[in-house]
Order: sequence, then structure tokens, then C-alpha cells
Amino acid sequence: MRNLSTNAAPGRIHAWLRRPAFATALVLGVLGLPVMLPGLLGDYALEVGFRLLVLLSLAEAWNLLAGYGGMVSLGTASFFGVGGYVLIGLMNVAGLPVLPSLLIAALSGSVLAVLMAPAVFRLRGLYFTVGTLAFSEALRLFMVNSNDFGGASGWIAAQDPPDGQTLYAWAWMLCACTAGVFSLYLGSRLAVTLKAVRDDETAAAQVGVNTFLVKLLAFMTAGALMAAAGGLQAVKLGAIEPYGMFGMSWSIAVLSIVLIGGMGWKGGALLGTSFIVALGEWLADYPNAHLAITGVILMVVIRYAPQGLAGLLNGAACRRFGEGADEPVARAPGIHGKAARPGSPGRK
Amino acid sequence: MNRHFFNLRKLLSCTCVSFGMSLAAIAPAADAEEIVIGASLPLSGPLAGFGRDQQWGYQAAIDDANKRGGVTIDGKKYSYRLVVRDDKTDPSVTASNTETLISKDRALVMLGSCTPALVNAGALVAERRKVPMVTGCNPLGAFRSVRKWTYVWDIFFDEAELAEAPFRMLKELNIDTDKSVALLHDNGPDGKVVGGTLWPRLAQAGGYAVKQKAEFPVDNMQFTAIVSELRTKRPQIVLVDATAPQAISLRKQMAAAGYQPKVLVMEKGAESEQFARAAGALSDGVMVGAYWDPSFAYPGAQELARRFERDTGIAVSQHIADSNAAASVLIDAIGAAQSLDRERINRAISRTDKAYVVGPVKFDETNTSKLPIALSQWQGGKAVIIWPRRVATGTYLQPK
Amino acid sequence: METLHIAANSLVSGLLLGGVLALAALGLSIVLGVMGLVNLAHGEFVVAGGYLMLFVLQPFDIDPMLAFPLIAAIMAAIALALQRTLLRPLAGGPPESSMMTMFALSIVLQNLYLTLFQADTRSIQLPSSAQSVEVGPVSFGMIYLVGFLISVLVIFAAHCLITSTQFGRDLRASAADPEAAEIVGVDVERVRGWTLALGAACAALGGVLAGAIFGFTPISGPAYLLNAFAIVVLGGLGNVFGTLVGGVVLGVLQSVGGVAFGDGYRDLVGLLVLLIILGLCPQGLMGRKHA
Repeated sequence: MRNLSTNAAPGRIHAWLRRPAFATALVLGVLGLPVMLPGLLGDYALEVGFRLLVLLSLAEAWNLLAGYGGMVSLGTASFFGVGGYVLIGLMNVAGLPVLPSLLIAALSGSVLAVLMAPAVFRLRGLYFTVGTLAFSEALRLFMVNSNDFGGASGWIAAQDPPDGQTLYAWAWMLCACTAGVFSLYLGSRLAVTLKAVRDDETAAAQVGVNTFLVKLLAFMTAGALMAAAGGLQAVKLGAIEPYGMFGMSWSIAVLSIVLIGGMGWKGGALLGTSFIVALGEWLADYPNAHLAITGVILMVVIRYAPQGLAGLLNGAACRRFGEGADEPVARAPGIHGKAARPGSPGRK
Repeated sequence: MNRHFFNLRKLLSCTCVSFGMSLAAIAPAADAEEIVIGASLPLSGPLAGFGRDQQWGYQAAIDDANKRGGVTIDGKKYSYRLVVRDDKTDPSVTASNTETLISKDRALVMLGSCTPALVNAGALVAERRKVPMVTGCNPLGAFRSVRKWTYVWDIFFDEAELAEAPFRMLKELNIDTDKSVALLHDNGPDGKVVGGTLWPRLAQAGGYAVKQKAEFPVDNMQFTAIVSELRTKRPQIVLVDATAPQAISLRKQMAAAGYQPKVLVMEKGAESEQFARAAGALSDGVMVGAYWDPSFAYPGAQELARRFERDTGIAVSQHIADSNAAASVLIDAIGAAQSLDRERINRAISRTDKAYVVGPVKFDETNTSKLPIALSQWQGGKAVIIWPRRVATGTYLQPK
Repeated sequence: METLHIAANSLVSGLLLGGVLALAALGLSIVLGVMGLVNLAHGEFVVAGGYLMLFVLQPFDIDPMLAFPLIAAIMAAIALALQRTLLRPLAGGPPESSMMTMFALSIVLQNLYLTLFQADTRSIQLPSSAQSVEVGPVSFGMIYLVGFLISVLVIFAAHCLITSTQFGRDLRASAADPEAAEIVGVDVERVRGWTLALGAACAALGGVLAGAIFGFTPISGPAYLLNAFAIVVLGGLGNVFGTLVGGVVLGVLQSVGGVAFGDGYRDLVGLLVLLIILGLCPQGLMGRKHA
């Protein structure tokens, strides 16, 4: 059903836009303008920007895990929270400055992934999702109850949070890192093997792929990025407690973003994040309505546009410019509806 | 694509509209002739009762100020506007609300939320942004322990006095018990200090035998193990520090287990009328620390209470007093500073020395102004002050 | 001696509580077993029962005994409608879509509750709420006993429904082999609708009892969901009496955890049980066809 007409010459700009590296650089450049021109954005806009960048990093990491890796996790909050607590812990106990602490926080995310992997990787499909949810909630309950980590009161950061401009700059760096990691990943062999594992783990194992290792690498990468995001959020808050850091709201936000944006699509995270943040701002005075509407939109997207906004835009672009389908760089069976038939044109 | 597909134009216009709307939403919304006072309050969640009372107290002070003509600074007349955001009893929401109130709603000064976790979360933001904030509903010890404050000011009682109150009352009113005590508290900042540190120390010093100690998270509603132990050990004195839903649940579960202590104190949770309403007859005899009662001889106390009952139709809560006073302190400071400069307003706050509806307010070098503690007891759905004797409005009732 | 007393009390209340937990979990078990649907909105169905009771009972002063069937009926109707509008269109597709749709539904429901009922903690007053029962050295709240009895009754009724009626036969056929069932003339989609209805009704009744014992808030759902999962893996998918056994076991384990570590750790015990069992035998206890 894609328009295969080759009579309409593809727009040159459009072709450029579709080169992944260029598009990424362009987006990062635009998002990075406030970093290069301090004072461009006011306080509140910097706030919103920070939130967007943190959510974007989280969403990209989750997209890697779920969209490209087929591991739909509801446990984002566990990594996010661990990153936050590790960072504040380092800041308070060891007096480390923020940037090295962020690196260590990212590392802690990977460690958590390694610890979780043996248990959760035994679960397939839906049970993996439930397992990550259970783990996340268990961790939250533990943190709430355990006095060693501040219990319900949490911790207060020893260093004051820096100003909005600095926070935005750091968030932008995190985002750039995430984009860099993503690009690295897409060009690597890991992308191919992970796709194979995602599509059919048993078959991949039979062909000799070390499925555990492949999944673990993806899990560790995503975990590190999520933990770094959590660390950054902790720096911004200046005080953390388990309900906010380990709460399900992060897992829900990230899932909504990627599903609405387009799971497994390269631009999915960006589209989803922009949409969700814009929606949040529009409904800022009605937080319950905001979340309820997000849920409804999610249901609508799953039913009518399982490819998300990215899929819709891509389809529209195809119809407009008449090129072969640019399928998502990776497409997971499942949420997207029927898996694509092999032999469709424009396949990467 | 299938027939449910949006065409590109529609999609683009949707995107434009939503971005446009969000940009419009980001645009600040303050009137040049207004002074915006911001407050993040728990209007829903376990502390909803406190939040609603505080909102009333804040709004009453602001309405009064506006009725007096607002304030005139440099020949220009300003009226006050209170902007409240619901933080749903979630400290991270308090923090983000405070940011929003300062950046988006253009609040000049801030008023605080309730209970240490929420107040401190918002206060940290205000302090960082150098926005003067006056708050009540935050025990002074918990407030002081966070940091050395410059821009945030607290009018409330000290936990140390609150923790002492039941012990002093038992002694002064000569209440006869076998001195066996159970200490149950939530693991929030105030619960841990009062229940975890101060009460055990005071119990030991007073020669009380601590038969049972238990700690539970702020959102925990199951008290089976605790109640089971209470029923077995039967301490005659039970001291509890927990939120209202927990206090209600615990009181009911104790009754369901057939256990009735001789002395029952439920700090924080039994404060508001919500407790008396929800627990019904079970609330009789339950004591709670009180820092204000309409009968206290402070300016405007009786009138404020009557006004509240007229406006809302529910029994008065002490939170209207510290909130009303906090807002009044802010307003007076703005008037005294004769300026919209936050530094000058902050300095004016530090010079406060006046009797407000909640009592005399004067800040010390830790930015705190202490309110003395009394004990009130629910009797027939009404809060009666039973200790100290000089301000008591009723006598101690043994719980049935 | 005191400790023994406390232990005995806890064990008994844990056992009785387990009955209520089992009822709250039954819906999840049946739906997962028959429809292969991980109903992530299950917790919200449980909470719905609590809210229905509060707003059906309070304004109209209906006798609690009458209210129970009424709530079951209302919840069943709602679930039927949900299945028809949300799940049926996704029928041919992959199971993740349905699961995510139910997840989205849970978000919508939670916020609907928040908007309609505020975040205040609610509890349900039943006649037996404030009474206690003493059997020798052991004592517990009457509401625990009542809850247990009602739960066992409803579970038994569900069991009879599934084993002895035509609907039950259709249900089991659809679970075992949907395609074969279609061929034999069973309207599988209709059966699925009624399965969700049955599951939701059980969940709602469990919610009423749990709401009477503990109290609930608009966001109590996930805790019920995860407890239900623990019970399902303990008792076996789609196995009605297994769910009862699983519930009792979890109830006792939770009580032990509560006494040993503190009441705040009860839910954590349930989650640990779930994680351990999932980790040890991810297919084992489930052992059935699934995607």
C-alpha cells in the first residue's frame, strides 16, 4: 500500500533529513541553542526544557530496550531511583562534584542491570514486563521502609542545586550522550544480533548468538542511561525520597512517550516526548486530567496508530514524496501490529 | 495505510496547535497591578484536611489585606492574589509546584505547605531562588535540621515540646497508670524524630516501661501486627505519630481487636476534624498536641474561628491560625518594606515583632518563631484543651 | 508466651485475610487463564469495588448483603462494555497490544478516581467492622472472619459456574483451544467478554472486603495487582481452588513478614514471593500455552 511511484522525485531536503546522523545533529543543535546562548530562555522555559531533555534521554534508553530489544520493561523507575540515590549518596558522603558522580551513577545502573538479568531474562514476553514491574515496586517498598537509605524522608543533598542554565546544559549533555550511544549502537553488530534475538530468541540461539549476552548489553546500556537521568533529576531536586524517585510515574511516562511517539522508530522518542511535554504544559493546571488524557491517547494510539506518531508521519511523508517505505530502523513485532512482510521495499 | 490514518496536513496542524497552546501556556500570567503570593498545598492525599484549612487561612488574610486597600508602593496601588497549586501530599510535586509558582505564575513571595517533608521540599526551592517564604505547619526541629535558612521563615512549635507534652500532662493532671507505654510512629521526618528519638528518651527519663515500639511507612494502612501486639501486651499508654488516614485506621483496628488503652495520644493524625468525623465515637478521649484554640487570648482568635465555621460549616481547625498568621506576616513585611524587592521584603520579615492570631511572632537567628504547646482532647466531636491548666477549656476524659 | 500469642493471632488473621486476597486475585487468574490477557487494570477493578460500595451504599442506605450482588452486577456490566469497546477490536493482534491497552486503562481509571473522589483514603464500614472475635487464646477482628467466609462463598460459586454450567464449559473450551472452540460453535469473543465480566465482578467484591479491612486510595490498584500476581503464581493459572490456597499462603506469609519486620513490609513480602517464584520457574507454575 505504499506509494511506489518513482515518478515523483524525492525532495532533496527530505532525503538529507532522513540521513540519521544529520537529523540527530540538527535536533541536538536546536535543543542546544539555549546552552550556547545563555539568557535565550527564561527560567520557566529552562525548567520545561530540562524536563524535556531528561524525559527524552529516558525515552531513548527505553526505546533501545523495548523497541529495538523487544524487552518491554515497566521497571524504569528502579534504574532512575538507583541513579538518584547513588548520586546524592556520593555527593553527601564523598563530597564528589556532580559530573564524576553522574558517571558513577550511570555505572550503578549497569550494575543493577547485571544483578537483575539472571532473574528477569528467564521470563519471556508479558512475564518479563510483570517481573520488571514487581521488581520496581519491591525496590520502592524496600527504600521506603529501610532507614539506611533515609526511609520515607529520603536524603537532602549536601550541595545546593545549580541554576537552571547549568542544569539545562547538563541535561543537554546527557541527551547528546544518549544520542551518541544510540548512533554507535545502530552502526554496530549488536544492532543486528539484538534484532535477531528480539524477533525470535530461540532461532537466534540456534544460529549461535549468545542471546543472554546480547540482551544483557542492551539492558546495561539502557540501565546506565536511565540511572544517569535519575542522578540528574536528583541534582535538580536537591532532596530525594523514594516515592518520587522510585515511583511508577517515571515508568508510566516513558512507556507512554515511546508508545505514542512510535516504538522502535528512531524519531519516536523525540516526537513522543515533545507531545507529552506539550500536553503536560497545556494541562498544567489539571494534573489529573493530563494523566487521564494521556491514558486515553495511549489507548487510541494502540488501536488506531500502533506505529505511533513517527509511523504516522512517515506514512504521510511517503504518500507526499512517493518514496519507498522507510521502515523503522528496527520494528518490534507485537505492539506494531502484524510484523512486516519480508520483501517490502525500502527495507534497511 | 489503513483508513483511520490522519493525513499529513491534519497532523501538522494538530502539532502546531498543540505547540502553540503549550507556548501560550508557558507565557506568564500575572497582572502588573497585582502582587502574587504563591502556595503549594496538599489539597488531596492523606494531608488533604490540613491543606484545605491552610488554604482558607491564607485566603482570609489576603482577602482582609485587599479589603484594607491592598498596599501602595511608590504611589502605585497593588492588590494581593493568592495562587495555590495542589501538591497531592507528594514532596516532589511540592518542589515542582514551587518552581512553577515562582517562574510561571510570577509569585513574588511564597507561603509554605504542611508537614516537614512537603514544607522543606518547597522551602529548598524558594531558598535557592531567593524568594522569601513564610510557613507554618513545620515543627522547628525538622525545619532547622535541613540547613541554615536565609529566605524561609517558620512559625510553629518545637517537636521537643510536643514530645514532652503527654508526659508533663500525665504528671501534672495526676493521671493514674501503670506507666506501660507503646510508641507507634510513621517514618516520615517528624514521625521519626518525635516517635523514634524523643519519646523513647522521655519515657526512659520518666520511668516508663516501653512495652512496644513500631515504625511504619507514611502510606501504610495495615496495622495487623501492631494491633495484635497491642492487644497482647496491653500497654495502658499509647503514643502515636501518624497521618490522619493512618490514625483513623489504627483507632478502628484497635477497637475491632477489642483493645482500649487508658491514655491515647495521636499526634498529627488526630488534629483535624476529619479524624473526629471518620472515627465517630471512637475519637472520644483521643489526645493531640495543640498550638492554638479559639479560646486563646490572641488578637482575632475568636473571630477567625467563627468566620471559618460560617464559611465552611465545619468545626474549626488550628491550622487556620498559623496559616493566617504566616500570610499576615508576609503582607505586613511587604507593607513595611514599601518595595517589591525580595531582599528588602526578606529583611522586613526578619524584623517582625507583633502579636498575630496564632500568638506573638518574632523570629530568632534560626529564622524560627516558636509557638507554645497545649494538649487537646476530642470529646463528643469537639476539641477541648485539657492541658496546661491555665488555658484549659475542659477536663480530661478517660477514653471508654 | 507473649510472642506465641502474637504469632498465633497473626497466623489466624493472615489465614483469614488470605481468603479476601484470594477473592481479589481470582479475577486475574481466570482472565489470564482463559483469555491469555495480563489484565494490568485488575487492581483498578478491585478498587472500583470499594468506590462502588461507598457510593452505592452511602446515599441509598442499602443493606450490605444486598449491595454485594448489586456491585457484582454493575462491575460485570462495565467489564463487558470495556471488553467490547477496547479489547475485541484488538482480537486478532498480538497480546502486547491488549496488555498495554489495559495498562493505559489503569492510568485512566486511577486518574478518574482521583478526579471524582480525591486522593483521600477511604474505608468501608460494614456491621462487623468494629467487632472482635475471641477463640480461646486467639483473637481477631470479626471483619476478617466475615471477609473470609464471603470470599470462600464467592470462590466456590465461581468454581461451580466454571465446572457445571454451559458457560463454564464454553469458557474452558475457549481457554484450551480457541480455534477448536470456534469450530464447535462457541462464540469465543462473547465468552471472553463474560470472562472479563466474571473476573471484574470477583475483583470488585474482593475490593469491598479489602476496603473494609484496610481502607484504600485511588492509587491502591498496583498493590492489589501485584499481590494478585503473587497469588496466581502460587496457586496456578486459572485454577480456582488453587487461587484460594495461594491466597491463604500469601496471607500467612504476609503476616509473618509483618510481625518479623514491621507492617510496612507486608506488601514487600508478597512481591518477593512473586519474584522468587517467577525467577525459579518462569514457565513451571504457569505451564500452559501462551504467546
